Amino acid sequence: MKGYGKAAAAALLLAPAAGWAQPAAEVLGLSWAEIEERARGQTVNWYMWGGSDRINAYVSGYLGELARERHGIVLRRIGINDTAEAVNAVLQELEAGVAEDGSVDLIWINGENFRTLRQADAVFCGYLEQLPHNRLVDWSDEAVSYDFGTPVDGCETPWNRVQFAFAYDGARLAEPPRTMAALLEWIEANPGRFTYPAPPDFTGSVFVRHVFYHAAGGPEALLGPFRQEVYDEVAPKAWEILNRLKPSLWRQGRTYPRDGTALGQLFANQEVDFHFSYDAATFGTGVEAGTYPAGTRSYGLADGTIGNTNYLAIPANSPRKAAALVVANLALGAEAQLHKAMPDIWGASPAIDVGRLPPAQQEAFAALPRHPAVAPAAELARAALPELRAEWVVAIEAGWQEHVGKR
Amino acid sequence: MSGGGLRPGQRLWLALLLAWLLLPLLPLLVWSFAKGWHYPQLLPATWSLDAWRYVLAPESQVLQSFGSSILCSASVAVLATLAGVPAGRALGMFEFRGKRLFELLVIAPTIVPGLAVALGLHVIFIRLGLANSLPGVIIVHLIPTLPYMALVMAGVFANYDASYEEQARSLGAGTWAVWRHVVLPAVYPGIIVGALFAFIVSWSQYVMTLLIGGGKVVSVPLLLFNFASAGRNDIAGAISILYIVPGVLIILLSARHLRGVGAMRTYSNP
Amino acid sequence: MSASASPRREHPRILLLLAPALVALGLLFGGGLLLGLARSFGYMPLLGLTEPNLDAYRALFADGDFLASFALTFYIAFVSTAVSAVLAIGAALILRRSFAGKRAMLFLFQLNITIPHLVGAIGILYLFSQSGAFARLARELGMIAQPADFPALIYDPAAVGIILQYVWKEIPFIGIVVLASLQAIGEDYEAAARSLGAGRWQRFRHVLLPLMAPGVIAASVIVFAFTFGAYEIPALLGQHHPAALPVLAYRLYTDVDLAARPQAMAMAMAITLLCALLIAGYLYVARRWLRWS
Repeated sequence: MKGYGKAAAAALLLAPAAGWAQPAAEVLGLSWAEIEERARGQTVNWYMWGGSDRINAYVSGYLGELARERHGIVLRRIGINDTAEAVNAVLQELEAGVAEDGSVDLIWINGENFRTLRQADAVFCGYLEQLPHNRLVDWSDEAVSYDFGTPVDGCETPWNRVQFAFAYDGARLAEPPRTMAALLEWIEANPGRFTYPAPPDFTGSVFVRHVFYHAAGGPEALLGPFRQEVYDEVAPKAWEILNRLKPSLWRQGRTYPRDGTALGQLFANQEVDFHFSYDAATFGTGVEAGTYPAGTRSYGLADGTIGNTNYLAIPANSPRKAAALVVANLALGAEAQLHKAMPDIWGASPAIDVGRLPPAQQEAFAALPRHPAVAPAAELARAALPELRAEWVVAIEAGWQEHVGKR
Repeated sequence: MSGGGLRPGQRLWLALLLAWLLLPLLPLLVWSFAKGWHYPQLLPATWSLDAWRYVLAPESQVLQSFGSSILCSASVAVLATLAGVPAGRALGMFEFRGKRLFELLVIAPTIVPGLAVALGLHVIFIRLGLANSLPGVIIVHLIPTLPYMALVMAGVFANYDASYEEQARSLGAGTWAVWRHVVLPAVYPGIIVGALFAFIVSWSQYVMTLLIGGGKVVSVPLLLFNFASAGRNDIAGAISILYIVPGVLIILLSARHLRGVGAMRTYSNP
Repeated sequence: MSASASPRREHPRILLLLAPALVALGLLFGGGLLLGLARSFGYMPLLGLTEPNLDAYRALFADGDFLASFALTFYIAFVSTAVSAVLAIGAALILRRSFAGKRAMLFLFQLNITIPHLVGAIGILYLFSQSGAFARLARELGMIAQPADFPALIYDPAAVGIILQYVWKEIPFIGIVVLASLQAIGEDYEAAARSLGAGRWQRFRHVLLPLMAPGVIAASVIVFAFTFGAYEIPALLGQHHPAALPVLAYRLYTDVDLAARPQAMAMAMAITLLCALLIAGYLYVARRWLRWS
C-alpha cells in the first residue's frame, strides 16, 4: 500500500496476529489429497445473498452436511443483503492491511462485483486445474469463461447458469406481451401496472439493459469493450423510452421498488402485473413458499433475454483457502448440482456440462421434473442474449440514475 | 391522583391509543401462521406452520443467532453496568473539576447518531481484528448503552443517603465491605433495571451490528431484515414474534422496580 | 468547584470511579468521531493518506442529493418528534388519573418501548402499504377497486410510513417521561390553582405545562436526534430517491468504489454537526420560552 512505511509505528502496534494464514502459492503447490487433508477441521465462511430460505437450506443443510461428513469442514453460511457487502468487506480489510487473515472465504458472485475484486487484486486465482470437478465445466463456452465480459481466468468456480425471464399471473392476465416492443406498448396501455427496481439493483439493472438492447436494435453493437461514442448514441434513445414510460409506471415512476424481491411483493399483492428475475427457478420456489400466486407463469421474450453464469470466488486474503477450494469443488460436483436442480430444492440450472457426465447421471438430469411456474431452460436458451461487459453495466446504471431515476 | 375514573371521551382516546400501539404487531403474528396471504385476502386463505418450522429448524440458524444475540446483549449489559455504576456514583454524589465535561461525554452519545461513530471506528476495528467478531460488536454496543447506564445510576445515587457509608466506615469497614454491604444493597434495584434496559438497547441495535459485525455476527435483527427485504413475510413474522419476547419479559420483570427509578430507565432507547 | 453535596478529599478515588466510563466512551465515542473527522478530510496515516483536503466536502455539497436528503431527514425528524410529543402529553394527562385497569393499561402503554424499531417498521409496512391490511379493508368496504386507489403511505415522498413508525414507537417513550414528571409533582399545585378559580385550560397552560416542559424537552431532544440519525427505518420504508441522510451515508460507505469512503465520512460528520446545531437551536428557543412563561 502506498506510503505505508510512514505509518510503520502504527502498523506495528496494530498488526493483527498472523494466525495460520495460507499464502496462495503454498496452496497452489499441493496435490488435491493434500488440500483435502489441510482443509479438514477448518471452517469456511461463505458469504451469500441470504433472502431465500430454499437456497439457505440447500447450502446450510445439504452442502453443509456433505462438507462435514466427507471432509470434516464446517460450512458457515453468512447471509447478506447484497453481494457488494462481501466485496466491500474484503476490500476494507485489504485497505486496512489485513492481507492474510481475512474473514471471508467464499463469495457467491458475478459481474461488477467480480470485476471489482479482480481489479483490486483481491481474488485468489489459478486453482481451477486442481479441482477434480473442473473437468465437468465446458470452458470453451464463452458464457462460462467470461463473467460479464471479464475473463474468469481461473479466478472463480462456476455454480449456476441463469437466464432472465418475465413472470405474470395466468389468473389475471391471459396472454402476456412476448417481445420488448409489445411489452412497452402494454405498459403504456395499462398505466400503473408495471415497474422495475431502481438500478444499481441487479434485477432492475438487467431490465434496463434489455431496454438498452431494444434501443440499440440488438446487442451486437454493444458487445466488446466499452465505447463512449456507441454509448452516446444509444443511451439517449434508451432514456427517452424509459422516461416516456414513466407516467405509465407504478406510482407514475416517482419512485421505484428497492430490489427484485420488493418487485415480487408488488406482483404478489396485485399492485403490478409483471415480475421478472435472472433466475426463473425462483418463481417455482416462490409459488411453493406462497410468496407468489399459484397461477404464476414465466417466459422469455421472442427477441431474447439475457443469460449469465454465477460463480464462487475465494478472496485473496482468505486464511482458509484449502477448505474453500474443497467446498467449491463439492458445490460443482454432479451430485450437488443435480440436487440443486431439483425443483423442490432450488431448481437452479447446472453450471456443468451435463453431456460430460456418465449416462446414468445424464438421465437423472433429463428426468428432472419442472415446476409449472418455471420457464423451461431449453426454451429460454433458444433466444439467449449475451451479457454486456461490466464497464457497460456500470455506465448504464450511472446513466439511468442521472437521466431517469433523479428526474 | 386526580379524580376517579375517566370520562367517556378520555376512555375512547385511551382505547384508540392502545389499539394503535398494538396494531403493528397484529399482521406480524398473522403472517407467521399464514401462507401466501396476499391482497385482497383480508385473512389468510391458507394457514401454515411452515414459517415456525423453518425458524425452529437448526439449519435455518435462527435459534443460533438468537443465542448469539442474547450472549451479546447480556455481555453488553454486564460491561455497561461495571463501567456505568461507578460513573453514575461520581456524577450523582460528588462535585469535581471537569464534571461538566464528563457529563457532556456521557450525554453526547445519546444525541450523536451511532452510525456516524461506527463508520469512524470501522477501520481501526478491522486493524485490531475486532471487526466481524462478537467481541467487536459487544464493544461498539457500549456506545449507546453505557451513557444510559451512567445516567440512570447518577439519578439513583443522587437520591441515595451516604450517611450509612460514613457509619460503616467509622465502624472500620473497608472499601470493598462498604460496597458489598452498604452501597450495592441500596442501589441494586436501579442496577437491575438499568442493566435490563441496557440489554434491550443492545438487543435493538441494527446498523452498528451490521457494520462492525460485517454480516458475520448474525444477530436477530440482521436475520429479520434479511427475510423482510426478501419478501418472506411469514418467516419475518415468526422471527419478529420471537424477537420481541425478551423485551416483554423484561417489562414484566422490571415492573416491581419501576417506582424507585422513575423515567430515566427509558432514556436512550427512544 | 461548588461546595455543595460532599466536597470530599477523594480526588484519586473519583478518578477511579470515572476511569472505566471515561476510557470506554473517550476511546470509542471520541475516538470514533475523531477518526471519522480525519478520514472525511482524507487524512488517515494508517492507510497511507497523509495529505488532508476538503475534496469530500466539496463533492458532497456540489451534489444536489445532499440538500434534498437533508431537507427530507429534517422534515421526518421534526414532524415525528412534534406529533409524538403532542400525543404523548395527551396520553400522559389521561394515564395519570386513577381508573380501573390502570396497571394493565400502563403495561400495554410501555410495551413497545422494548420492541425494536425494525419490528415496528415491518408491521407498519404490512398495515399501510397500498396492498396492506388497511387497503384490503378499504376494498372490502368498496372504497377502492385496486391497490393504486389507496393513498401511497409507504415509499412515498411525504414519508408518511416512516413518520407513522416513529410516532408509534415514540409516544410511549415521551409519555412515560412526562408521566413520571407529573407523578412527581402530585396534585397540590393543581388543587391550589383550582381553588383560585383557574379553568381547565388555565390549569393546563399555567400549571401542568411548565411542570411537564423539562421532561418533554429532554425526551424530544433524544427523539429528534434518534430519528435524524436512524438508518433502518428509512432504509425499509423510504422511497428510493431522495433517501434520508443516514441511508445515503451508509450507501456511500458500502460503495465498492473505495473513493466514496471519505464522502461517506464527510456525510457522517455533517449529520453529526447538523443534528447538534438543530438541537442547540431547539434548546435555546425552549429555554427562552420557559423563562418567558
